[in-house]
Amino acid sequence: MKNLICFELRKIFSKRLTQAALAAVLLLSAFLAFSTYQNKYASDGVGREGTGRDAVEIEKAVAAKYSGILTDEGVQRMLSELVPKSGENGLNAIYIFQNTLQSAVSARFADAQGNWNGLRVADVFGDAAVKIGYVDGWLSTSRNMTRVSAVFAIFVIVMLAPVFCGEYGGVDYLILSSKYGRTRCAAAKVIAGILAALSTAAVVLAVNFLAAFAFYGGEGLDCSILFAQLTALEGSVPFNITCGTLLAYQAVLTVTCAIGTAGVTLVLSAACENQNVALAASATVYALPILFPIPETGVKLLPLALFPAYHAQFVALMSAGRISGALLYAVWAVPAATALAATGGAVSRGIFARRQVS
Amino acid sequence: MELRTAGLTKQYGSKTAVKRLNVTLTNGVYGLLGANGAGKTTLMRLLCTVQRPTRGEITLDGQNIWRLGERYRELLGYLPQHFGYYPDFTALDFLLYIAALKGIDGKWAEGRSRELLEEVGLSGECRHRIKTFSGGMKQRLGIAQAMLNNPSILILDEPTTGLDPKERVRFRNLISAFSKDRIVILSTHIVSDIAFIAERVMMMKAGEIILLGRPDELTSQINGRVWECSVPTSRAERYAAFLNVSNLRNEENGNTVLRVISEQPPVAGAVRAQPNLEDLFLYYCKEESKP
Repeated sequence: MKNLICFELRKIFSKRLTQAALAAVLLLSAFLAFSTYQNKYASDGVGREGTGRDAVEIEKAVAAKYSGILTDEGVQRMLSELVPKSGENGLNAIYIFQNTLQSAVSARFADAQGNWNGLRVADVFGDAAVKIGYVDGWLSTSRNMTRVSAVFAIFVIVMLAPVFCGEYGGVDYLILSSKYGRTRCAAAKVIAGILAALSTAAVVLAVNFLAAFAFYGGEGLDCSILFAQLTALEGSVPFNITCGTLLAYQAVLTVTCAIGTAGVTLVLSAACENQNVALAASATVYALPILFPIPETGVKLLPLALFPAYHAQFVALMSAGRISGALLYAVWAVPAATALAATGGAVSRGIFARRQVS
Repeated sequence: MELRTAGLTKQYGSKTAVKRLNVTLTNGVYGLLGANGAGKTTLMRLLCTVQRPTRGEITLDGQNIWRLGERYRELLGYLPQHFGYYPDFTALDFLLYIAALKGIDGKWAEGRSRELLEEVGLSGECRHRIKTFSGGMKQRLGIAQAMLNNPSILILDEPTTGLDPKERVRFRNLISAFSKDRIVILSTHIVSDIAFIAERVMMMKAGEIILLGRPDELTSQINGRVWECSVPTSRAERYAAFLNVSNLRNEENGNTVLRVISEQPPVAGAVRAQPNLEDLFLYYCKEESKP
């Protein structure tokens, strides 16, 4: 069995299209990480400003001054030291960007002129102890990974669409007439497909995380995602979790997206006679749920966990609700994807085992 | 060992490819003859469990082969008429993969693969990728994979297609040496291959087996119906148009010798000839063999 799985993995990874698609996903990851880093801009509000590496250093220096649990005193300090009182051409102070901490405090605690809006920390965040610090690097990484995950799911489809129907060009005669062709070979294909999805997910995650460590360092993983700049995507995830937790969820959802997509693709690969048809059908099944309107909040969002596309577009799933503490309803993606992969594996194996050549 | 079909039928829509076939095969080499569309390939696919019969069953020593499953396929070697391969695999890797599918142990599989590559004349190319192989080389690789598990039932569909004469001789010797105490079924349009190695010949027509027996027994059925006659070369084509001609041979004297299958002497002066399998094929498949 081990031997058969190795052969199946070799078949999967020896395809030029798979190699090119994986290279494209990794290049996209590297490009997004690098371009995001290069395009960073920050100013400390007192004369120092820069882009790229300088911007990151400025952000870290500003964050270091105010790091710790967010308090009303801290808010007042930030409002007086960071927030400009009037923007150029009368621009609303909330929308002025100097650095992420200034943007975060302006968005929640300043009025249009940059003065305190009267809200206290408890009014905005309730009882939650919001730890602040340098979070911009991790939040940017998270935002980029959302894009990468969507492309990665397509890569999984490209990679796995030929697993079964790639044999229908004539090798199936040899496979199906051999001792283990209808049994262990079919199982080996399913296992190899899932392993290929998992291993490439691990590689893509590793590349993204390593790039983030290289560009931004390890600071801020224990800080809350709630005190983020106005435009941060994670503003839509209304739970007091740390950047580390956010990225852990994102890693888990990337993996669940991979194995869920693998389950669907394997079924269609076994059912379709042609790998192009299998590829198109799998991509359609993957993308279709995104086209339908979804409920906006609450546990009604949970069925989304069944669809791998929402694992990649993780914000909707992450905002569905919280079970307790840092445990979000998004964890339902794990059993959902496992069930999808197991069902997909069993169904595709069954289709292949009953196949008759034509 | 006894492989038996009982009422075996395979239909594709309204077309019946194999029709209520009842045949019992025991150890030996069977040559399967028949015109295109006679049902040979379908019969072989049914015997190899890559297709299910519409009706009827195939049994091995009394047990249904579909119920035997892995236990039947363990005994089986199959070379399809057209088969796929992995272009980036080397010949040795391909055989090792097929060996894994056949449940052959790793070390023994490598030894057996190398031995077979030697036997089919591919040992020098065992590390070459299959995409660099010619059609004949791929065919030889196909023959090797079919024999990997020392099958007790070996089914070869057009095995000599694409092989040059030297390779055909090598193949015939290989099968002859291999066939002891096994059931070997091979179909080919090259009747001479069957004449050399088949102990028994099965002839199919319109999905049915119309003849089964030893080659000499079968050819003796048309004794007195094969004639040779010499006609002027200029008129040979006109004769060929209405006679069942199995061969034309030009001679230096401006005449052509026609080999004709006919109940009566086709022309004055025709002499009887010893029938062979090709004559037998043309005798029974006259209509199908006409262009």
